[in-house]
Amino acid sequence: MQTTTITRMTAAGAPPKLSRFARWADRNFKWLLVAPAVLLILALSIYPLLFSLVVSFINYDFQVPGHAFVGLKNFSRVIFDPVARWSLFLTAWLSAVSVAIEFVLGLLVALTMVRSFPGRGVIMSILIVPLFISPVIVGQAWTLLLQRPFGPTNYILTQLLGQEVTIGWMTESPWLYFSLIIADVWQWTPFMFVILLAGLTAIPPNLYEAAELDGVSAWQAFWAITVPHLGPMIMLALTFRLLDAIRMFDTIFIMTGGGPGTQTYTASYYLYTVGFTQFHLSQATAGSWLFLIFTAFVVTLLVRRLLKTEPV
Amino acid sequence: MNDRDRRDFQAGLEAEVDALLKGESTRRSFITRFGQMTGMLAASGPILGMMTDWAMAQQKLELADAASPLGQAQALALKASTEGPANGSAFRATEAAKKFPGVTINMTSEAGLQALDPRNFSGPMWEQLTGTKMNVVELSNPDQYSKAVAEHIASSGAYDVLDISPAWTPSLADGGVIAPLDDFIAKYMNMKDFEDFHPLYKSLPTYKGKIWGFFDDGDIFALYYRKDIFEDPKLMEAYQAKFNAKLEPPKTWAEYNQIAQFITDQMAPNVYGAGHFRKAGSPGNQFDFLQQFRANGGKLFGDDMKAGLVSDAGVATLTSMKASNAASIPGNNELDAVSLWAAFLTGKVAMIYSWPPTGRMAGNYSQSATAINFIPKSQIAGKVGYAVVPGNPEHAVGYNKALAADSANLEASYLFMQWVTSPEVSLARVMLPYALRDPYRISHYKSDLYGGLFPGAKEYLINLNNSANVGLLDPIMPGAQDYFLSLDRMCTAVWAGADPKASLETAAAEWNETTDRLGVDSQKAFYTEFLKLPGATAENTVEKLGLAVKL
Repeated sequence: MQTTTITRMTAAGAPPKLSRFARWADRNFKWLLVAPAVLLILALSIYPLLFSLVVSFINYDFQVPGHAFVGLKNFSRVIFDPVARWSLFLTAWLSAVSVAIEFVLGLLVALTMVRSFPGRGVIMSILIVPLFISPVIVGQAWTLLLQRPFGPTNYILTQLLGQEVTIGWMTESPWLYFSLIIADVWQWTPFMFVILLAGLTAIPPNLYEAAELDGVSAWQAFWAITVPHLGPMIMLALTFRLLDAIRMFDTIFIMTGGGPGTQTYTASYYLYTVGFTQFHLSQATAGSWLFLIFTAFVVTLLVRRLLKTEPV
Repeated sequence: MNDRDRRDFQAGLEAEVDALLKGESTRRSFITRFGQMTGMLAASGPILGMMTDWAMAQQKLELADAASPLGQAQALALKASTEGPANGSAFRATEAAKKFPGVTINMTSEAGLQALDPRNFSGPMWEQLTGTKMNVVELSNPDQYSKAVAEHIASSGAYDVLDISPAWTPSLADGGVIAPLDDFIAKYMNMKDFEDFHPLYKSLPTYKGKIWGFFDDGDIFALYYRKDIFEDPKLMEAYQAKFNAKLEPPKTWAEYNQIAQFITDQMAPNVYGAGHFRKAGSPGNQFDFLQQFRANGGKLFGDDMKAGLVSDAGVATLTSMKASNAASIPGNNELDAVSLWAAFLTGKVAMIYSWPPTGRMAGNYSQSATAINFIPKSQIAGKVGYAVVPGNPEHAVGYNKALAADSANLEASYLFMQWVTSPEVSLARVMLPYALRDPYRISHYKSDLYGGLFPGAKEYLINLNNSANVGLLDPIMPGAQDYFLSLDRMCTAVWAGADPKASLETAAAEWNETTDRLGVDSQKAFYTEFLKLPGATAENTVEKLGLAVKL
């Protein structure tokens, strides 16, 4: 529209005399607009990415002088480190379990909240509060609840069960995994709930009305109408949450410190420890690349599935 | 212009006018807004910078009530800097530093409480005395090492004075990150003041025959116990009857475990015999293991630099620590240093061993500062006794002030270091209620002003001195953090039920891998240097070397 206007003005006999530079600028205006953003991305993303690739093939350790080329040594250190392998397994396991629970709970809450009832707005506001809390604070809050001897959890359980409960929620297996999962579920179930609720509200109500007229039960309607229509949103929510869950770090840092031993080392915690406690930066960088490859594999699978998912 | 052209022109004009009226972006309006936004961004940089500078600027000099012991110590520090004695290190440093007015000294400090002293007290006082500008750069503990190295690699000269863990000295010295102080010391320091450092700490910054900093934080572990419980006639009688021994502060780890279990059996759930900070990364495990392991005759490394952890001493140490855990407050293995303090201060635990602030908190002195009021008020003030940890207490971490080799103001920076660690100024600093810097000079231990800070402070100081006489140093060599991490993992795995012998083997394998990575010969050279320091082993403590300070 803009170009048309200028052309017509020229045709009308009032041509603005544009300099050569102005004409060039006019032609390349779109590129000039995006150039700062592109340069910023190059400077802040591409360069560090390439630099990290270089670092993973050299010695970059604050305790060992020099930056000699070491080939694949940093990668082999990670691959043959049993702690790294365990942390990768734990990351996958914790993410899968947490996200599965969050999905089921989030769907149940969304199905409940999709209908209007008194106080719905207030309850919804309360439900999504955990989303706005920093994971570090969430970890600290759950530590205060669970940590002996000050946390009230064991006391409450003792009162409820009528016998003394002395569970080490953050030091004894399997309870420590339960603690980490419950903290994650408490914070991120609302995320699932919000996305799934948006999906549920987008399903045309006339489908349910028609189903009701045909005598379809609620359970059948759920499987025949809700699930297929919600499919893309489910995949979207699962993908986003999984991508976030495999970076699990904050709650572990606060609640268990990776312990006991290395029992709660996730991939992120492992990389943090190697890089920032032990100062083996090149090994941590190599580990990050391996972790990235693993993550990319999972993401590709999920995104392909997401793209294939079409509403019925 | 024909009719069609006129129609098209009119349509275009109307579209542009409509867009303008609707508030939609035209190229002109876009460019205008873009320009405004860029201008605002450009202006926001300096504005934010000014706000940050304002927020992070040195505070005004904070002085305590002149009649209080702290106020008197601060007045003495000021007097020593301005009036002398003329051969005092504080006075010499102050006078010499007047040659550098307007110079800015960038000093790293651990973020949080540690930075309050240079921000509120020593930094502003030095600025006032010399006209030097102080800029405190707050960093996390690992960053105090990594950023110093990174800035050195970049030759940025970003830092002048570095707060470093003593364990980092060899690698920072060999890496050229820090500079030796010997020439400056010879030029400026009164050597009598140098001799005032407790012998455990005096040699600590020495490496390969040179001095690479000034020690600045006496982090010695000590035993703090409830006198009212240990002096309870009924308990004393019961203990005598059961063990045919007097109930008194333990001198061996076997006694410690026995007493802890006895008190727990007698007084739980109101009071438990002991408590420890055993949470992963807390970092009590490594220090406790190191002190007991060496007191039990364990050697950290063999002649071939293979880890010496898998030994009778190693098994005995873990077995003893497990017995301590069993005799302790429920949740012992989940406690960190702060929650252990909370347990002790609220009267739930009869004995703990920890860093020196424990004594000041137990006397309710630290909590007088708002910065530290997250620690609960002491319910045991006046009831706390002090003793040396059984065997040999660990000097857990500590701090050195080191001179950054890339500093553009080496001399001015050195002078600040000399002044701030001088007897009079350092006394005022370790007396600050929010201080996490602990007494380390003989004059600190003898100070009547410090002894008047809270009831029992004199006994507290004597005990810190006695603890330092038999104290053990953390290994001062590259890879220390790797070795520590392996110990922490080993201990917490054992607390969770892993076999002690197998866990020792895993930790030893990790130690050997660390040593191999850093070079066996190189590590051996570092370890050999470390063994020369008083307090490196239980066989060459300050006391065994005949250097003990008697108060």
